[in-house]
Amino acid sequence: MTTKSKIYDVCVIGTGAGGGVMIDQLTAAGMDVVALERGPLLSLAEFNEDELKTVIRRQVFARDKVDTYRQDEHSPTEKGNIAEITHCVGGSITHWGAWAWRFRPDDFHVLSKEGPVAGASLADWPISYEDLEPYYYRAELDFGASGDSGGNPFGAPRKQPYPNPPHPWRPSSHRFARGARKMGYTPFALPVAINSQVYGNRPACMYGGACRSNGCPINAKASTLSVSLPRALATGRLDLRANAAVYELPLDNSGRLLGARYLDEDGNRHEVKARQVVLAAGAMGTTQLMLLSKSALFPDGLANGSGLVGHNYSYHHYPGVAAVFEDDLRAYTGYEAHAAVDDLHPSDSSRGFIRGGVIAETNALSNQPIAFATGLHQFTGHARWGAALKQRLREFPRTMAFAGICEELPMDSNRVDLDPEVTDTFGLPVPRVTKKNHPNDAVMHQWFCNKLSELAHAAGASQIYQIRTPGAFVDKNNSLKSNPHNHGTCRMGDNPSASVVDKWCRSHEVSNLWVTDASVFPTAGGYNPTLTILANSYRVADYFIEQARSLSL
Amino acid sequence: MNSMLSRRGFLRLGTAFGTGLVLSANSPRPLAAAAAAASGAPEIFSAGQWATIEAMTSCIIPTDHEPGALEANCVNFIDKALAREDAALLPTYRAGITAFIEESQAHFGKPFAQLRVDNRNRLLSALEQGDTLSWPQNLAATPQLFLHTVIVHTLIGFLADPGYGGNRGYAGWQVVGYPGTEHHMGGYSKEQVEGTAPVIPMWKTDRSG
Ligand SMILES: Cc1cc2nc3c(=O)[nH]c(=O)nc-3n(C[C@H](O)[C@H](O)[C@H](O)COP(=O)(O)OP(=O)(O)OC[C@H]3O[C@@H](n4cnc5c(N)ncnc54)[C@H](O)[C@@H]3O)c2cc1C
Repeated sequence: MTTKSKIYDVCVIGTGAGGGVMIDQLTAAGMDVVALERGPLLSLAEFNEDELKTVIRRQVFARDKVDTYRQDEHSPTEKGNIAEITHCVGGSITHWGAWAWRFRPDDFHVLSKEGPVAGASLADWPISYEDLEPYYYRAELDFGASGDSGGNPFGAPRKQPYPNPPHPWRPSSHRFARGARKMGYTPFALPVAINSQVYGNRPACMYGGACRSNGCPINAKASTLSVSLPRALATGRLDLRANAAVYELPLDNSGRLLGARYLDEDGNRHEVKARQVVLAAGAMGTTQLMLLSKSALFPDGLANGSGLVGHNYSYHHYPGVAAVFEDDLRAYTGYEAHAAVDDLHPSDSSRGFIRGGVIAETNALSNQPIAFATGLHQFTGHARWGAALKQRLREFPRTMAFAGICEELPMDSNRVDLDPEVTDTFGLPVPRVTKKNHPNDAVMHQWFCNKLSELAHAAGASQIYQIRTPGAFVDKNNSLKSNPHNHGTCRMGDNPSASVVDKWCRSHEVSNLWVTDASVFPTAGGYNPTLTILANSYRVADYFIEQARSLSL
Repeated sequence: MNSMLSRRGFLRLGTAFGTGLVLSANSPRPLAAAAAAASGAPEIFSAGQWATIEAMTSCIIPTDHEPGALEANCVNFIDKALAREDAALLPTYRAGITAFIEESQAHFGKPFAQLRVDNRNRLLSALEQGDTLSWPQNLAATPQLFLHTVIVHTLIGFLADPGYGGNRGYAGWQVVGYPGTEHHMGGYSKEQVEGTAPVIPMWKTDRSG
């Protein structure tokens, strides 16, 4: 094991949404930061729209990722692709679709608003929308969000307009909006962290279409790789180590972290020393690491006195329909989704379920043809081969999807732990997901599918198929695999026996351990999560810096 | 960690492919298949296997007033993929092709590649239904798995970048109406996004050959 004597101010583990912002903010405040990232540093040349390489074979992002899944203790465990995440410098936000939502105020108080629900582990966040509002704006400014300020009557209240104006709409966006208006809804430009003009030293979007699941070759799409990390490197205070898989967080006798131990790509062990440790390895990676770090003090895993590390794992539900029209929708241009409707979001138990979500116009299962073609049969039940299949393939430019992002209810029994048998390329036990749906989720899913069908009808579609979300897979129990949004495994809260970190995302038990990725979400919200991860990290960074300045760290 | 490459898992991709297809996710780079595809000479298939798979692909995406899998050279894509990233599928192909040739003999007394189109389609339907005469009972490559594997490979060969050896002359992209990887050709203008200006497919602007 190589150990250098240098003691860093901070060690950040993971360089995705949550880690990238911390790295940026703390280096800007003058701290010496070492960042450990298990994935490689990718060059922009990798982001070349090669669908087979990137989307189908997954040779660019997370080529070493393995996780396993079982429904419960009694069902068999399958090896698979449960979390559609990235292992690379920049993390999963590198190939995100860039939908950039603020959560609605009520998303932070689900337990108070809904009351207890049998089988669900609802909780309030220890912070409110007002606490996060200024940081949402900071994230929108840094990440160049574009949107329709005031366009969403059901969205969170804004104090300032979006820094960038909305993008042009595709014919598919207009179809969606037409259907929505007929249904009495209010369509608006979906907020995205994609430059609609030159902004922040980054160019305007070229509308190539392949944003989702790909990196942006020109950095018009914001990510920590394109925004936060370059800025941090420019300070000269960031020691960025790629291909560094952390496997243990060692403690001293007093129960403080000493730093981190990692494996490099050749399997050599290294140790770095730091005064503070920020864990931002994603809901899967952070859990894996905490459970790997067992000690006399923490026999069940680091800072896991509550026993909650890995529990309350949640993602979203993705109801959807594919709709075929008579003319070219151009849904393969632009980016993943240009238009949205939020009327169905507010919780209303008279619908037969609580909570809700946002709906949007997206491209035809994918904006690229292989995922479209190979998904057709599974998604629509069409002929698998022959002249009938070829006819279906020709519908690609005339097909679009209407899709929802719905809040699922957290459950204590839905959890991530370490697989006792399967190890990854570094020899570490991989994250194992144990997960079932709450009955609320299935009812909500079908209700939204029905509404999306009605909307597609109203929009004038000639054929409509209920589908599964692009890239995502819903099995016969309606349980989602290959999901891009992973949260909840290290809840934040005020009560140390009911949460893993406090409202500042600092461990209740280990004073120099912080968690700033999506693990800390007590509930999932009815929107894509990442602007909230970014905003929360800016908030935590401010507190962290203030504490450091007053020497209370 | 020298065993790293060998430990990279071949994942069962239940996702976009339906059940049963094993594609090599997370396989090592660089993309040898892309380089190899430059040559159209068979690397894996014997002449008979090549002809059989080629005939299957042409049933899966038939030629009509526009090119099909035959013109797109999907069989070449499959041959090159099996030599590289999709080597894990070799056993399915080897066993499947042998059983399939027997099956064709059992039904029609002829190799598949020599059958008339209607009989070819009949045989694929039989595979799909599991309605086989001579397919060995305990073969891991069941008729459905074999057919499904060739279907998915044919679709990918039809629609992947031509550099992989299929989609010859952008035939696949032309048929489905995908204008190509346009970001690297300058992207789309606001008017093209809005649908008021025509989109020029990349094969009409690509001068690199
Ligand atoms: C295809 C796709 C599209 C998406 N689109 C959207 C969207 O439009 N809008 C939206 O809001 N969200 C979107 N998301 C979700 C978004 O990417 C995630 O919410 C976000 O990136 C999560 O941030 P994080 O910090 O929690 O984790 P990540 O961004 O995943 O970062 C975790 C990092 O930690 C590293 N790591 C893990 N373990 C270790 C270890 N042991 N040692 C060192 N490093 C480690 C990982 O390699 C990774 O880089 C999308 C996701 C996907 C997959």
